[in-house]
Amino acid sequence: MSPASKKRLNYFLISIIVFLIVGKFVLNSLQGNTVYFFSPSDLSKLNEKPNGLVRIGGLVKSDSIQKKQKDNIYTFVITDLTNDVYVEYKGILPNLFQEGKGAVIEGVLKDKKFLIAEKILAKHDENYMPPEVADALKKSGTWNKTYGK
Amino acid sequence: MASNLGLICLSLALLTSIFLILSFTKHAIFKTDLNYKNFYFSFKISFFLILLAFIFLIIAFIFSDFSILAVYENSHTDKPLFYKISGTWGNHEGSMLLFILVISLYGFLFILFSKNLSPDLKSVTIFFQSIIQIIFLIFLIFTSNPFEKILPVPNQGLGLNPILQDPLLALHPPFLYLGYVGFSLLFSLLLAALVINQYDSRWASIAKRWIFLPWTFLTFGIGLGSFWAYYELGWGGYWFWDPVENASLMPWIASTALLHSILVMEKAKKLFNWTAILAILTFVLSLFGTFLVRSGILNSVHAFANDPSRGFFILIIISGLTFAAFVIFILKSSKEEKNNQSYIFLSREFSVLVNNYLLIFALVVVIIGTTYPIILSVLTSESISVGPNYYNSILAPFVFIFLILMAMGPYLKWGKNFFISIKYRFLNFLLGSIFITALLSFVLHNYDIIFWLGISCSLYLLISIIYEAYYLRFSNLNFGRLFSHAGFGLLIFAITLNHFFSKEFTAKIPIGESATYENFKITFVKSSSTKEKNYDELFGYYEVTKGNRTIPLKPSIRKYHQPEQFTAETSIKNKWFSDFYLAMDYSKDPSSGIGIRFYFNYLVALIWASFVLIILGGFLAFIQRKNEKSI
Repeated sequence: MSPASKKRLNYFLISIIVFLIVGKFVLNSLQGNTVYFFSPSDLSKLNEKPNGLVRIGGLVKSDSIQKKQKDNIYTFVITDLTNDVYVEYKGILPNLFQEGKGAVIEGVLKDKKFLIAEKILAKHDENYMPPEVADALKKSGTWNKTYGK
Repeated sequence: MASNLGLICLSLALLTSIFLILSFTKHAIFKTDLNYKNFYFSFKISFFLILLAFIFLIIAFIFSDFSILAVYENSHTDKPLFYKISGTWGNHEGSMLLFILVISLYGFLFILFSKNLSPDLKSVTIFFQSIIQIIFLIFLIFTSNPFEKILPVPNQGLGLNPILQDPLLALHPPFLYLGYVGFSLLFSLLLAALVINQYDSRWASIAKRWIFLPWTFLTFGIGLGSFWAYYELGWGGYWFWDPVENASLMPWIASTALLHSILVMEKAKKLFNWTAILAILTFVLSLFGTFLVRSGILNSVHAFANDPSRGFFILIIISGLTFAAFVIFILKSSKEEKNNQSYIFLSREFSVLVNNYLLIFALVVVIIGTTYPIILSVLTSESISVGPNYYNSILAPFVFIFLILMAMGPYLKWGKNFFISIKYRFLNFLLGSIFITALLSFVLHNYDIIFWLGISCSLYLLISIIYEAYYLRFSNLNFGRLFSHAGFGLLIFAITLNHFFSKEFTAKIPIGESATYENFKITFVKSSSTKEKNYDELFGYYEVTKGNRTIPLKPSIRKYHQPEQFTAETSIKNKWFSDFYLAMDYSKDPSSGIGIRFYFNYLVALIWASFVLIILGGFLAFIQRKNEKSI
């Protein structure tokens, strides 16, 4: 092998190694920061509860918002009208979070029916239905045009 | 009335462009003489026709002509005049018309400002620009006609999304378009140069300015969007790694790589093929960004209409243009580079090469984070989202290395290894930056490793720039580079400090009471409400006390009538280095207490200042004709 092609081979091998290391790093980071979305019915079908951060979406069940004691702890129910998930949230409920409207909640599941929420995702206008929620409702066969766009 | 005239203008513009293409093709095939004056004149005509159509649409919005569907869906008679006008591009159809106007505008400017270009290069560039213009005119007229009528004519419109009723946001789309649609001209210029075999280092000197101009606008557009998110959304942050933000960041990163590689092409006669690929990539990513936000795949304020057929059409345009561009590139790629392949270790072109590797890495990271959820949802119908931590954790180390290289690169020389002879200078910068970082770390009581890296690396860059400005050829500086590099250094400096010293706090406070958090005390003094033309507003009067300083803040909640919607107006006061930022939540019963979000944001003003520096740098690079001398 000539010195020039040897040099080129070295460059090639080094770049492959660097590429693999960086690729592994990126993929790990991607996996570690991926948040999966579930509807209440999706959750009920699972055998085990998913670990880490998840998002759930559906309608905020009517008359379900309750305030615990003096702290800013709220509990409410997210439903796709077939299955429910109980949510506990510490913080201020956003402007557009209302009973009977769609919402997406991010948090950690304690079990398949109980979510400790970390944030309630903001929406841009009140007719807007998060597409995940719309899909969740359509899947459970309870979609209704009055829910919005 | 306006609708007919507008559509006629658009159709005539389309016909003019087609005529232009045909006459040029005839000239190219039969080698007949082309009357350049007439050729350029017809392009100018098509530009003015599109401009006229746009003006007709604005007029229709001003006079609330609800016989036009786009006006009916996005306007309302009660809206202030300013927002009636900005409503013109606050919807899919109008913004696509603006998109085409910008394509045409760049062609028009190119004709005006390239008087001493070879007639071949100039005319073929306009030829390609017209093709792009025709493609999008067809898209506009047949899938998203802004002048589409509605019968019977409604009495009142549906109104503009209140969140878009903001002076900053009215300006954000035009500047963003002046940015990324502007890369269409560079794309045409590249294809033209390839076709007529003039893709060489002289081409690079010509094309350079047509990168700087849209790049500056794009930076400005991104800055405005970020500024708006900070003031209007009320989430306390300025960048959320939202797919829509990423859509504008992708062409920005590609074009930043491009404006460095084109310098190597100009000065060292290398990286020809790479520069061509970047130029194509920049324009394709601009279109891809348009596709992402317009197709309804992403959900945000930008997804005006969820019509899959439009997304499909844009996807076809992207694939078609990319395919055509690469075919031309492969058939005609430059021969000048062939005998000039070697890179001298630690030469200036070597540093640009490393810069490009790092930028492409950042670009790939952003593309993966943005498209992975989309691809996954198409393939497996699983819906996921990628958190901001993904970007922060991968890109932070990259930014640190990047800052050091940004400081060193400009001191290196074209074509030789000059590093060894100035290594002590680099060492001094390092000592200087470590010293100041240690001082800051001691004063601010922060010993985090990321804090150390972020501050010392950005200071390293800033010190190198100050050194260059003061001690070296003060008269012969490249202000464009100095300003934009200094801006980037300051940006990372400010972001690091902001990240470590900002505070966030939520509470529900009844009238007359107060809440405390660390050394902040927030008192809700009183509330009042007013009625405006298109909304009712509830103001809260708060006092924030920190130490012996008391800052009054007055956030509010607006209830818009058309469409009925709430928005939170933040109240932000800048004191010394930090922003006191307060946003209120909607409450049906204000007397029982109103939820507030309080953010103590450190050095946000410096973030905006660094944006201004970067933009100023881009602008100076655009107007500075003198060639840069190496130091």
